Amino acid sequence: MAKLILKYEAAVLKEVDVGATPVGIGRAPDNTLHVDNLAVSSHHARIFNDAGKLVVEDMNSLNGTFVNSQRITRATLKPGDVVTVGKHSIEVRGEAEAIPNAPMPAAPAKPAPPKLQETMVLDTKKRRELLAAAMAGGAPADAQGATQTQAPAAPPRARIPWLIVMQGKTDQHEYSLSNKLTVIGKSSMATVRLVGLFAFFAPGVAAQISKRDDGYYIGTGEKVPKVNGQPITGPTKLNEGDVIELGSVKLNFVYRD
Amino acid sequence: MRVDMEARSDLGRVRKNNEDNFAVVPELGLYVLSDGMGGEAHGEVASGLAIEAIRHHCVEWANNPDTPLFGDPIPNLPPRANRLASAVRLANRAIYESAQRHPSQKGMGATVVAIWLDEEQMSVAHVGDSRLYRMRQGQLEQITQDHSLVAEQVRRGILTQQQAETSQMQSVLIRALGIDPAVEVDAEEHPVLPGDTLVLCSDGLNRMATDPDIGSVLNTSLSAREATERLIALANDNGGEDNVTVIVVRVIAGTNGLLARLWRWLCGE
Repeated sequence: MAKLILKYEAAVLKEVDVGATPVGIGRAPDNTLHVDNLAVSSHHARIFNDAGKLVVEDMNSLNGTFVNSQRITRATLKPGDVVTVGKHSIEVRGEAEAIPNAPMPAAPAKPAPPKLQETMVLDTKKRRELLAAAMAGGAPADAQGATQTQAPAAPPRARIPWLIVMQGKTDQHEYSLSNKLTVIGKSSMATVRLVGLFAFFAPGVAAQISKRDDGYYIGTGEKVPKVNGQPITGPTKLNEGDVIELGSVKLNFVYRD
Repeated sequence: MRVDMEARSDLGRVRKNNEDNFAVVPELGLYVLSDGMGGEAHGEVASGLAIEAIRHHCVEWANNPDTPLFGDPIPNLPPRANRLASAVRLANRAIYESAQRHPSQKGMGATVVAIWLDEEQMSVAHVGDSRLYRMRQGQLEQITQDHSLVAEQVRRGILTQQQAETSQMQSVLIRALGIDPAVEVDAEEHPVLPGDTLVLCSDGLNRMATDPDIGSVLNTSLSAREATERLIALANDNGGEDNVTVIVVRVIAGTNGLLARLWRWLCGE
């Protein structure tokens, strides 16, 4: 069975076996490999047995997941590989073995299950139990019989995103994005208010940034914004350091503690 | 405001009864859609109660601004969005109390998605897995986040989107109206732009059709009516396994042209 060894420099922090359920890595306490470091996203990456192959998958982390110093989004692991998240490393020992009906990664192999049974809703008690079990990394198919009652994730320590004005006229030099929705433009709803001579021609809603559970997404307003020089083609997740361009206005997206 | 609007509900190809309900109040710009659940025709009782409670509370407030809010106001949210959230809480209470009074209705519940819009802004409230989409500049975006177990697992990174779409747990909701005496309502305020198309739908649409297919219908339809008919046909062509209800609202340009803006600017607005 494959084993993962979580290390900080030379110190071994934890060892886990990779069984049928994926091993979550991240800052939130519901991860099997819980790494309490600000460079690590709350649900940063996961490692799981995909039909006998050990696979690591980055879960849109802020600072990336590396295998033997190469940044990856998904990679197959072999014994001896080192996965790095922030300053922590995870060593891989032993091979993954084929697990019959491994519930998590089985989606492509399984025939499509019967769909659309009657809709049901979980009552409060059942919801808490099922959510807690499912969120602890258990597969949904197992969840009903699960005995795990680990508490759901505590909210991760908040890092606040900011927009820093690099170029163009706005009513402030920088903005913290505290709301669920931030409008950029000259509309009365706008947080980032465009001002100056050209504001008359500026759109009421040039673009908007929405907060979702996994980060901040920029969406189109009357103009299609550019992120790092590329016009977006749909809601686009913002990463630390991204440059947003709206006509003559340039904004830098950064996180601060 | 000028909108081109159409709302339709269809039985689908498998179900014997339609548990969806919707309401449109054009003079307010209020659009409400609800998908009921619970055996023996009680699903439509629940969704009907939801629709009526929401319509009644919103119309009442429009006529009398002193109408009290039901439940605590959500901070940092404009009054109209809070009003919509209040209406959804009342809908929850109405279904819950009816199910308490009538033992045969035990377990009935409903989802809801509602929007209330004017020229510039839209208030949105929802509970469950009925959705609001917005098409803007040819790009489709799902505005509401489903309160389903699989959606929650995707948000937490436990399932991928692909796994969620084939999961056997797709029908499991983690929030719905009528189950508990109180419910947490998601409410938001969004800007509205001329040219935006808003789509409210029950899961009978989005479980039968992919987002790119929905987007392509919206991009190639010339009217709200055509879009609504084609979306329902799309769901039925792909199996029509559930009731499908669609409300399409196209916001027509007109009040934001250069002259209008110049006029507003001269008037100092």
